[in-house]
Order: sequence, then structure tokens, then C-alpha cells
Amino acid sequence: MASNAITAPPARKKVAMHDGFLKHAGYRWLKISSALMLICIVSYIFIDVSPRHNGGSWYGYTLGTIGALLILWLTMLGVRKRAMTPGQWSLKAWTSAHIYLGLSLIVIGTLHTGFQLGWNIHTAAYIFMMIVIISGIVGIYFYATIPKALSDNRDEMTETEMLENLRSLDRQLHEAAQPLSAEHATLVLQSLEQDPFGGGFFQRISGRYPDCATRQAQADLRRERAYQPKMGGDDPLDKVDALLEKKEATLARVRRHLKLKAMLQVWLFIHVPMTFALIASLTAHIISVFFYW
Amino acid sequence: MTFIVRQIATTADGREIIRSNPFPADEIGIGRSTTNAIHLPDLAVNPDHATIRKRDDGQIIVESSSGQNFTLDGKHRISVTINPSAGAELGFGGHVIIVSEEGDDIVLTVKRVEALSDSAEIRSESTLYTLKGLLPGKRLSAWGFIALVLAAFLVWPIYTWATWRGVEERPDQFYADTMWSSGPLSSAHHALEKDCQACHVDAFVTVTDNTCLTCHEEDAHDHAAKPRLLTARGGPEGLEVIGATFAAAFNKPPGRCVECHSEHEGSGAMEPTAQKFCADCHDGMDRRLTDTKLENASDFGISHPQFRPAVLVTPGGKNPPRKRVSLDQKPTENNGLKFPHDVHLSKTGGVAQMGRRLSTTYGFGDSLVCKDCHTADPKGVRFEPVDMKEDCSMCHSLAFDEIGGTVRTLRHGEPAMVQADLRAYYRSTRPTRPINLGGMKRRRPGTDNEARVASDYARAVQFRPSRANMAISQVFSRGGACYDCHGVTPPTARGRVDYGIMPVTQTDRYMHNGWFSHEAHNDEKCTSCHNAPASKSAEDLLLPGIKTCRECHGGEFQKASDVPSTCAMCHDYHADDGAPWLIREEQKDKQQKPDKKIARR
Repeated sequence: MASNAITAPPARKKVAMHDGFLKHAGYRWLKISSALMLICIVSYIFIDVSPRHNGGSWYGYTLGTIGALLILWLTMLGVRKRAMTPGQWSLKAWTSAHIYLGLSLIVIGTLHTGFQLGWNIHTAAYIFMMIVIISGIVGIYFYATIPKALSDNRDEMTETEMLENLRSLDRQLHEAAQPLSAEHATLVLQSLEQDPFGGGFFQRISGRYPDCATRQAQADLRRERAYQPKMGGDDPLDKVDALLEKKEATLARVRRHLKLKAMLQVWLFIHVPMTFALIASLTAHIISVFFYW
Repeated sequence: MTFIVRQIATTADGREIIRSNPFPADEIGIGRSTTNAIHLPDLAVNPDHATIRKRDDGQIIVESSSGQNFTLDGKHRISVTINPSAGAELGFGGHVIIVSEEGDDIVLTVKRVEALSDSAEIRSESTLYTLKGLLPGKRLSAWGFIALVLAAFLVWPIYTWATWRGVEERPDQFYADTMWSSGPLSSAHHALEKDCQACHVDAFVTVTDNTCLTCHEEDAHDHAAKPRLLTARGGPEGLEVIGATFAAAFNKPPGRCVECHSEHEGSGAMEPTAQKFCADCHDGMDRRLTDTKLENASDFGISHPQFRPAVLVTPGGKNPPRKRVSLDQKPTENNGLKFPHDVHLSKTGGVAQMGRRLSTTYGFGDSLVCKDCHTADPKGVRFEPVDMKEDCSMCHSLAFDEIGGTVRTLRHGEPAMVQADLRAYYRSTRPTRPINLGGMKRRRPGTDNEARVASDYARAVQFRPSRANMAISQVFSRGGACYDCHGVTPPTARGRVDYGIMPVTQTDRYMHNGWFSHEAHNDEKCTSCHNAPASKSAEDLLLPGIKTCRECHGGEFQKASDVPSTCAMCHDYHADDGAPWLIREEQKDKQQKPDKKIARR
């Protein structure tokens, strides 16, 4: 009876609504990776390899094998990410492991070299590995910081809405510009004909479009009208000017969105091809070592 | 003849709406302005862009009225004449006007062909916001890198290997397989830097001993027979199994030259053999190589057997028998000489006194010191054998006669000659003539005395030659010049004096498998190691034991000791009579950088 009365409340289970790939499972993979790095460093210091540490000692082979297998496994994220599944081996868990085990490669790879670097294929493989890791770190940084900026900038607009917004403004501009003279119409036309998603990679990533026709059109129109007396009534140029200003604001939002999205993607354009360069040079490294050995 | 203008508009769902308007005029206008018969709501079009005029012959003239041109079948024109029956396509901004003839009427079909604005064009939204098209595709560049890297770092070097096989020396140029080099070669092999094929002969076959022996015919003799070496080393232990597994899997047999002589470890001299390499076998070797005569050793400071010098069994001959005896057994050695070091090095007594007396001639000090008798060899490593004439005769004179100021000495090392010389001396000389024989000097009165002296003298003269035997006996017997230092063999029969000298062997090196240079220990006194002042007999082996060495020399890792010493400081794997490789390299360094040496001191 008494025991019934004093039943302890069930221990509250901490369930986070959402934790990112970095914090996944209470930093489980950070802990595993740190332990791995620590083991490597301590064993490197205490294991006496004769004549000195290098990739060709038994210890070097061990680190090299672990590192090579790790690289192949890390590459498999590219395959794995195409199938999102929940649970212990969810994509998030996999990504978390990818990041932290990838970082541990810095230690494993560097100790495998025994700090013997030079102008050769072996160091080339090491450099490729470091490029992949560093681009990955940049990627982590972007993934940790950009989504919020992206969300703030979108202001609850979808990408489709942004595009439709531009189209609508263009239609209105076209309509409003009909009564304009040929010269003025040309200015508006330039704005209409310029690809809002155009520009090269550097314009995209920097968000700077010095040859923006919309801004140019607005500036030219304003400069021209600055000393002209107000016509009053229904000057079509007033409407065009207001529309150009609206379009410029929308373009600014779109371009910032494009810039942030570009940053989210650009590191992968290094990370992924360099991974394959790494795997190729790793193959050459391993084969060459046993070829001339 | 009427102009019929057909405007085709497209609805949002793609349906076309056609509106026809007839214009029974000879001339109609084209422009953005609504006053024109052909009104084009197109910003690229001038408000009054052009006019179309009928000609009497049925052709029409299209002429720009604004100065802005238009296109005819894609070509820019300012004014054209068209035969409507042949048809034509006129372009104004984003619109086209198709000219045709229907009966007598000229039909102008107007249609917008370009989107109103760029953004209005149909786009794939899935890629619109991505970097697609702005950067080379990931897949493409991934394959590109794979191809590039494999071609440059794998295919090219393999091709180079295949084309230069068996060539002794490659001409001076770049070779792709040098990209595989994991580091510069040691200075001795620097010339081979471009000749990978010189050592790496077969693919996936490790560098073999034969390759090394192509050049190192003489200086790379075996340390021990290979089966014994491998037995002594034992199998891989613990985690070394990993390395051994790799080696076995990739055709790398154990016990090859390159196992110790690891190359590509950086330019400069090849690293001296690490202590670990010695200890791999010699540490606990008796457990593996059960029949070995060698004791275990792994570190000079911690585990190294007592020295076992090769002690003379009997002196004499070219290669006198020797036996290795541990210094712990306090061995003595008969080298055929008698020499009490203590007497000679004493600061008091006859020897010191004699030294002082001869100091002006021979540069002795207050008493004799080691260097007065012992001379270092030219390299300062060991000592020249003590030479009677050079090192002893200053005091131990063999003089026996003087003729006209020239001192005659007994021939050292030739006992027969000594005997002959003494006999000749007694044969050719007379006893000292008594002063009272003949003349008037100090005679005693009476003739008896004179006669007695004369007869004595005559007898002395007569027996003078036979005195030689006595003198010879004396020289070779206790108290005689030979006997002082040498063992003497007695005469072959009673009454004879054919004494002999026991053979003498002076040992210049006791430890042939270890290196010791006296020159390197110049800062020490002789007596720090050799307790000569207390030695009463030449039989004392004055070699210091390992304990003495360990006062300064610790093992490789005993950094606190004055001189942390690896095995390689005294021993060589491919030992010859000279200094170990490590010492030779040090000496080379000193010759190259004498300043540094001075600075270090």
C-alpha cells in the first residue's frame, strides 16, 4: 500500500527536439574522435620505432591503413546522403561521424607521415587530404552560420516567390514603360533583359553586381529628371521610377540569397573533387610504395 | 488591296488568340505608340518605328521612320522592298511580323516571340539558385582529377620504370619515378638520386642485397651467417607482427641490407646504426641462439658484459696464442718482460733520482711519467711498442766499452751477438796493468813483491779471455743488464754460456671487436684508467674494466651521463680494423668544420 503511494516520478528523459549534426547524441562522435586522436598521439610518443617514425614502420602501416580505410568510409557519405533514414545510423549520425572522424584524419595522417614531407607523390596525397579537410572545416563553418542568415534574408519568402516577385515587377515595368520615349524605354528594357541570375561565379559569391542594369536605369532616369520640373499629374516616369526601386530591393534580396546559397555550396566544389584527387593520389601512393620498395 | 493585321496573343495556358483588323490604306505605321496600325507593346520598339507602303506593282516597302532598324529574315535593315507573294519575316524588338498574301490582301501576322523580360523566361527552379553552370561540375572535375593524378603519379612513373630497366645510369633529365621518392638519399648515394632503377629493379620486389653488393663488393661483409642472424633476431613480437605481415604479403624477405640501411631518410650522412638494431638481436640473444659464445648486451650503461680482452697465452712468434678472458677474472699476462710500473713511476727513489739527473738530456720531469717511455702511434689511437733503444736505454744502458770517446753497447735483441761481443772484448783487451810493474813508480822495497805482481799480472793476462764467460753469465743472470728486464733461458749444458732471451710480445690492441681511441680521451690522465703506479709486475693487465668506462659513458638514453654512448660508438656491424663508422663520420665532420669543433670545446 505504502509503496504504491510513494512511487518515484519516472526520471525525466532528456529529449532534444532538434540537435544539429555537430551536437548529435551529446557530441558522441566528437568524443570518439578525440579518443582516437589521443590514442594516436600518445602511442606515437611512446612507441619506439627504429630508426625513427615513418610511414614504413609497423606503426606507420597501422596508421596508414586506418587512415586509408577512414578516407574511403568518409567518401561513402556521398553515397549515404542520398538515402535519408532515421535512427542510430541516421544520416545525421553519419554526418556527425563524418565530420569528427574526418577531423581526426589530421592527426592520423600527419603522424603517418612521421613529419617527413617533400616534393613527392606521398606528400601530394597528404596535401590533397589537408585540402579536403580544410574545405570541410570551411563547410562546417558555413553550415553552422549561414542558414540563419539565409532565413533572415528570405523573410519567409520561398525561392519560387522571389522569382515570381521579379516576374511581376518586370511585367509592371513593361506595362508602365509603354508611353516612354525610345531612350527611356531602352533604359527600362536593359533592366528587363538583364538576367537576374546572371553574372559569373565571383559576382555570385561576392554579391556585387557593378553592371546592374536596374540600378543603372534608375540612376540614369533620376539624373536626367533631377533638373526637370515636375510635370505633375500622371508622369509615367514616376511609376517607372517607383517600380525600378522596388525591383532593386527585390534584386538585393535575391542576390544576397544567391550569395549565401553559393557559400553553402562552393566548398563542396573543392571538397568533392579534391576527395577524388585524394583517393587517386592515395592509390598512387600505396601502389608506388609497394612497387618501388 | 488591303493590309490585314493579325495579332496573335498567347494566353497563360498557351492557347493562341488571333485578332484580325483590316486597314484599307496605302501606308500603315509600326510602333509602340497606340496610334500605329501595327501596335507593338514592346520597349525595344520605337513609338513610331517604321512604315509599310504599298507600291503599284504589288510589292511593299518597309522603311524605318525613326532611324532605328529592324530585321528582314534575321538581317538588319533600314529600308526594304518585299514581294508579299514571296513572303518575309520582319523583326521588331521581341516581335515578328510575317508578311504574306491572301488573294489581293497583304496579311501581316504579328506575334511576340521573345519573353517580356529575362525573368519571365521559363527556368528550372531546381538549379536556378545553385552554382550549376558557374563552376565546373563536381562530377566532371572529380573524374578530371582522378585521371590527372593517376596519369601523372602512377602511369607516368610506371612507364618510366618500364622504359629504363636494366640501365646502369640514366642521362641527366627529369624522370617521373623520382616523384615516388619518399625523401632524399644519403650523401653517399646522392649520385643515385636520378637512378631509381639502380636499386629498384623489379616491380613489387624489395631492394635486394645483390643490388647493394654490385657496388659494395668489399666493404659490406656479413656480420654473421644469415641463418644465425635471423635466429638471433627471433620472430616479430607484439605489434611488430603488423609490419612483418605487410612484409610477407608484399614480398619483402627479412634480413636484407636495407632493413638497417634505410634510405630516403634525408640528405646528409646515413644515420649511424641505432642501438635498437643491435639490441634487437643481442638483447637476450642466448635464449634464441643457444650455442653463442657472446654474452647478451642491450645498452652500454645498463646491460653490457665485462670486457674480455684477448690475453696472451704465451708470448713470442708472429701470431702468439691468445685467449679471451673476462676482466672480472682478473687475468694476468706474461708478455716476456719484467717491468714494475710502480718503481718507475714512483716520485721518490732511485729511478726518480736518475730521471732528475738525466732531465736536461731527455726532458724528464721530477719523476718519470708514462709518456717518457710510451709513444702514441701516428693517429693517437694506440701506442707504439716500447722500444729498448728509444724508450729504455736512456737509463738502462748497454754500454760496456769506450774506444776513443765512442761508447760500445751490447747489441739488443741478439743474445748471440752479445756473447760474441763480450768474448771479443776480453780477447782483445788486457787487464789493467798494475802501476808498480816496470818504471820507478811507488815500488815496494824488495824484488819479491815485484815478482809476485808480475806473475799475478801474467796470470791475469793469460786467463783474461776466460773471464768473458763470467761476464756473459753475469749479464744474463740476476743483476745483469738482460736479466733486469727479460726472462732468460739457461745454457744448454753445464759449463756453457749460450744463454737465450725469452720471447717478448707487446700487445697493441686487446679488444678487436670494440674500438677505443686514446686520442679521444686526451682530456683524461693515463692513471684515470690505468692503475700503473700501483703495479708491481709486468704481468698485471692494466686494462680498465667496464666500471671505469661507465664513470663517463652511459647508455644511449642515459642523457644524464657525461657521454651517452650508443653501441655504434665502439662497435661496427661491418667491423674492420679501423674506427667504427660513427667515429669516422665524426672525424670527417671535424675536418670539414674545425671551427665548430673549437666552438664546442
